[in-house]
Amino acid sequence: MYFKKRFVILFLLLGLAIIFGLIKGAVNIPLSNLLLGDNRVIFNLRLLRIIAAILVGSGLAVSGIVLQAILRNPLAEPYLLGTSSGAGLAAVVAVIAGVSRIYLPLAAFLGAVLSIIIVYNLARERGIIADQSLILSGVIISVVFSSIIVFLVSLFGNEAMHEMNWWLWGSLQVYDHKLIFLVALPVVLGICAIYLFSQDLNAISMGEDEAKHLGINTQAIKKILILITALITASLICICGIIGFVGLIVPHMMRMVVGPNHKILIPLTCLAASVFVVLCDLLSRTLFAPVEIPIGVITAIIGAPVFIILLKKGKRI
Amino acid sequence: MGIMLEIKNISGGYYKENIIKGISLDVTRGDFLVVIGPNGSGKTTLLRLVTRALPLRKGEVLYKGQDTLHMNLKEFCRRIAFVSQDASTGFSFTVMELVLMGRIPHLKRLQFESKRDIEIAREKLMLTDTFSLKDKRMDELSAGERQRVIIARALAQEPELLFLDEPTSHLDIGHQIQALDLLKKLNRRNGLTIVMILHDLNLAAAYANRIALLDKGVIFKAGTPEEVLTYQNIEAVYKTIVLVGKNPVTGKPNLVLVPGEN
Amino acid sequence: MKQIILLIFFFLTFFSAAEAGQRYISLAPSTTEILFALGLDKEIVGVSSYCNYPPQAKTKPKAGSFSSPNMEMIIFLKPDYIFCTGLEQAPVVTQLRQLNLNVYVSDPVNMEELFDSIREIGKLTGRSAEAAALIGRMQEEVKTVSSKAKLTPENKKVKVFIEIWHEPLMTAAKGSIVDELITLAGGINIAHNLPRPYCNISAEKVISLNPQCIIMAYMDKEPSLRLIKQRFGWDKIEAVKSERAFNDIDPDILLRPGPRITRGLAELYKRLYPEG
Repeated sequence: MYFKKRFVILFLLLGLAIIFGLIKGAVNIPLSNLLLGDNRVIFNLRLLRIIAAILVGSGLAVSGIVLQAILRNPLAEPYLLGTSSGAGLAAVVAVIAGVSRIYLPLAAFLGAVLSIIIVYNLARERGIIADQSLILSGVIISVVFSSIIVFLVSLFGNEAMHEMNWWLWGSLQVYDHKLIFLVALPVVLGICAIYLFSQDLNAISMGEDEAKHLGINTQAIKKILILITALITASLICICGIIGFVGLIVPHMMRMVVGPNHKILIPLTCLAASVFVVLCDLLSRTLFAPVEIPIGVITAIIGAPVFIILLKKGKRI
Repeated sequence: MGIMLEIKNISGGYYKENIIKGISLDVTRGDFLVVIGPNGSGKTTLLRLVTRALPLRKGEVLYKGQDTLHMNLKEFCRRIAFVSQDASTGFSFTVMELVLMGRIPHLKRLQFESKRDIEIAREKLMLTDTFSLKDKRMDELSAGERQRVIIARALAQEPELLFLDEPTSHLDIGHQIQALDLLKKLNRRNGLTIVMILHDLNLAAAYANRIALLDKGVIFKAGTPEEVLTYQNIEAVYKTIVLVGKNPVTGKPNLVLVPGEN
Repeated sequence: MKQIILLIFFFLTFFSAAEAGQRYISLAPSTTEILFALGLDKEIVGVSSYCNYPPQAKTKPKAGSFSSPNMEMIIFLKPDYIFCTGLEQAPVVTQLRQLNLNVYVSDPVNMEELFDSIREIGKLTGRSAEAAALIGRMQEEVKTVSSKAKLTPENKKVKVFIEIWHEPLMTAAKGSIVDELITLAGGINIAHNLPRPYCNISAEKVISLNPQCIIMAYMDKEPSLRLIKQRFGWDKIEAVKSERAFNDIDPDILLRPGPRITRGLAELYKRLYPEG
């Protein structure tokens, strides 16, 4: 019954966060005027941001949960498999090649997917993925791609550099509601699919052999889940850039509070992470308005102390 | 009394070399078979090969006449359970959650545990005397309690055949006897067939009805404890001298250590 | 007669009243200066946090920083036109256009394009007359300097190194407006042939090209002459030996493509040819 109670509480919190996010912003518009005329544009902008925040929060946090369970490594996070640098590299290349800016999200997406394919194949040995190999390949590819990015920027200078800002710091401001819908599809479906694997995730998180002895086809499950998290992460990067902390620390925080049973962990984390990112987004736009603080900074500043408090309280990871 | 498991000339290993080089063994229903052997002889590898944790490079394993590799993995795990040596997990589930995972082979992917599954889990917790711990987290337990919980999880799979890899290595002598007594009870009363790796030769002698002595990836000798635990066999395989007496209580062989300096 | 004059008056006020209803946002310091120089003030409803000249600009509502405009603020201010630069603000421009806002991008790489830009901004804001006047004044100031500079024989032209950042060492080359200023002032930019308008240069290269004059002008920071003196091997450079390194030209008038750039040109000339 713990679960139901917590679910309802988080759900209500999310509702509150959404309302706050819609009402407050860089510009103060009283609630009664919010939907009138020109103000509707502002309302729509905020709504799109909040939807993006919810997608980013739940998508990255659940991906983090999955990777931490599969790789049995507490440092695993969604960008581990090279997605972030792949997306960045593709974006830089596209800018330098003079591709119209409308296609940048597509380029970033393709870049992210390409790096996962490379990382995956590097780690594969006779059809088997060893966890260590996956982590190492991910790190290597990230480093290589990042170096290429720096190299290209130093050659081609300013235009590439300024394009990289959104990628580096992350931004939840999306203008195209069609794009958000396009991204929401793989993210939401992916999260639902992952939830269906809760049982397998429980078993796998205990150990490769342990899971096999419970009847879980670990190799197949790992491949499927890595693919799903890759799709989720790639889709989110291409509209929002890189937003750190959510995919690494929020899973740990939630595990400390509700335990490692994925049947409970996954839905509650979706809600909690959404609340977290929506609130962080609100702060990023209102703290020093009209200057907007990059969302990655806020998530780190708020998240780190909360994590330390939980750690000190003695709850184990 | 049927033959449960036929291991036919299997070989397998991790890298290029095979660790197990052609082993054949039959396991009869009701057996309490203990596998012994020096370090590196391949005991754990043997168990992993038989329980499908490691792929077979040669040979086959038949379960009641059926090739195990052709069985659906979950179906296989409904018949055969495995208790591993070290139950250290990264994430701390509660005891109840852990034991309930033993029901996974019986559940479809989307299925939640039913009342019956929870009943079975409770029953196994009581059998292993861990019911009082059911809401504690795994990392709050002592090594002995953890081992008993892992056994409970394996029992929750309701297997016909239970494999254990040194289940008592972290336990003090009191808890060792306690755990083995429990397994012997399940073996005698409930007909659970047991295949276990043990380091302690005297424990093996006391509990097993059959012993398989491994050396360098092959079976050196298999048979009753009296047949296998002779001072000649021990010296040949372990390269150490022992005196073989008789345990006054059980009537089984009892090995006496002979330290080198004397 | 009186009626005709009244009618003309009426039409004039009608038109300027229409223009007075215009609302403009400027996201770049250079375009802000241009707008103010055209006589606009109350029409300017928003600027960036970096717009610091003229002083009235600092009192205007802030619509964001240079590279990240605040969309809500901008929409709320209901601008008729938004002025910004092209290079660094390119991603911003796309976003603004996605919201169906009118954006004018001003990105002059030389004086001619700067004058065109001022002219167009004048047309968009209904200040064509003021724009023409401004351009005329600026052209006069340019001519004052360039006519003197033309008299300098080729072999007497001063070799200049312009340093726009120190770590990494950066300079301006062909294609940048500063490079043209150097030419107009009768100097030779030692970095003229580098591949990009603003790019890195190695310290050794500067030593080998041996400029006679060094101008330090950093965008956001006050450069210290000590930086030059501390550099290894730079004490051999002619400019350093003859104490002709300067850091006292306000970068805002030298590097900003706006109305004050002609003043920057004059200051540059004074450093290159202090006697002329």
